[in-house]
Amino acid sequence: MKSVQVEASEVSKGSSSSQSLSRGLSVIDFILRTLASFGTLASAIAMGTTRQTLPFVTRFVRFKAVYKDLPTLTFFVIANSVVCGYLVISLPLSFFHVVKCKVTKSRIILIIFDTVMMALLTAGASSAAAIVNLAHNGNTNANWFAICRQFNSFCQRISGSLIGSFVAVVVFILLIIISAVVISRR
Amino acid sequence: MANGDSISIEVQEAKAAAKLEKVPMLAHQKPEKKGWKKGIAITDFVLRLGAIAAALGAATTMGTSDETLPFFTQFFQFEASYDDLPALTFFVIAMAIVGGYLVLSLPFSVVTIVRPHAVGPRLLLLLLDTVALTLTTSCGASAAAIVYLAHNGNPSANWMAVCQQFGDFCQGVSGAVVSSFVAVVIFLCLIVLSACALRRT
Repeated sequence: MKSVQVEASEVSKGSSSSQSLSRGLSVIDFILRTLASFGTLASAIAMGTTRQTLPFVTRFVRFKAVYKDLPTLTFFVIANSVVCGYLVISLPLSFFHVVKCKVTKSRIILIIFDTVMMALLTAGASSAAAIVNLAHNGNTNANWFAICRQFNSFCQRISGSLIGSFVAVVVFILLIIISAVVISRR
Repeated sequence: MANGDSISIEVQEAKAAAKLEKVPMLAHQKPEKKGWKKGIAITDFVLRLGAIAAALGAATTMGTSDETLPFFTQFFQFEASYDDLPALTFFVIAMAIVGGYLVLSLPFSVVTIVRPHAVGPRLLLLLLDTVALTLTTSCGASAAAIVYLAHNGNPSANWMAVCQQFGDFCQGVSGAVVSSFVAVVIFLCLIVLSACALRRT
């Protein structure tokens, strides 16, 4: 009877150390999720509030730049808003994982949604980056003029709003890996 | 008191007998569970082959789509190729890298088929698949933005729609972008399958 009791206590010690590691990873997951939600919210707001009007006007050419003029930037704002909303909704589930470490099915659901949202966010961020690069440099082969030469503050704003989005992409990669490691440790 | 002792001994023996009966049941359950993980690993391998086809197809289609119009003037260029637009160059290079990664990951997938309960190869594949998904989505989306602009133009920025002159170039480029998004969907399935197979049942 005594040997059985000693073995039982050893098993519980091993499981408690792995459980503390899982709990630590879940806490890191929660913190990264809040960080990513702030990043995407900042990107959406920074891109959504762009507006620049040049002080001169002629009959034929427009001198006003808003993010809605370029459909790719509209997609960027929508994608960032959707991902920010998803992250805020998934925060309670992440907190539940911190409290109760042994569930795997809800963690798998979280990984599925995290992967889909990461793909959406990466698509929005990289397509906006392609358009911003075109706005900065233009393209002589396609006769596309670099609009940044006229709209300076508009260009600065749309370039800076990409940063928060790309940081959130890296955070999503870490979130997926953390969830996978915690699932494999059970 | 003696009766009480004999009753407790009988209860312990009955419990030991019940435990012995349980062991053959557990031995029966294990091959079924092994089969489930092996099925996931085989699906993973087949999907990887499909993703190789999609990724390498996208890279070659984009790389070989150049068009030269039959007339010319002194000032304008009438030749369109993927290296005229930096986003399309990034697309070709990134899809080639992803195709190469998928070919190199096939042995790891075979290892997960042979040893379904090993955690290391699956976790490594999931990590690298996540990075490859990000790269594929990024190059596909940036090429899609440029291709959309080539198809429709943008009057607000005075950007002209190039596709109205270069029809074949636009068709090849659009097909390559679609193929890269097929690879993205396959990567999503691969990551979800790896996460499901990592569970310790």
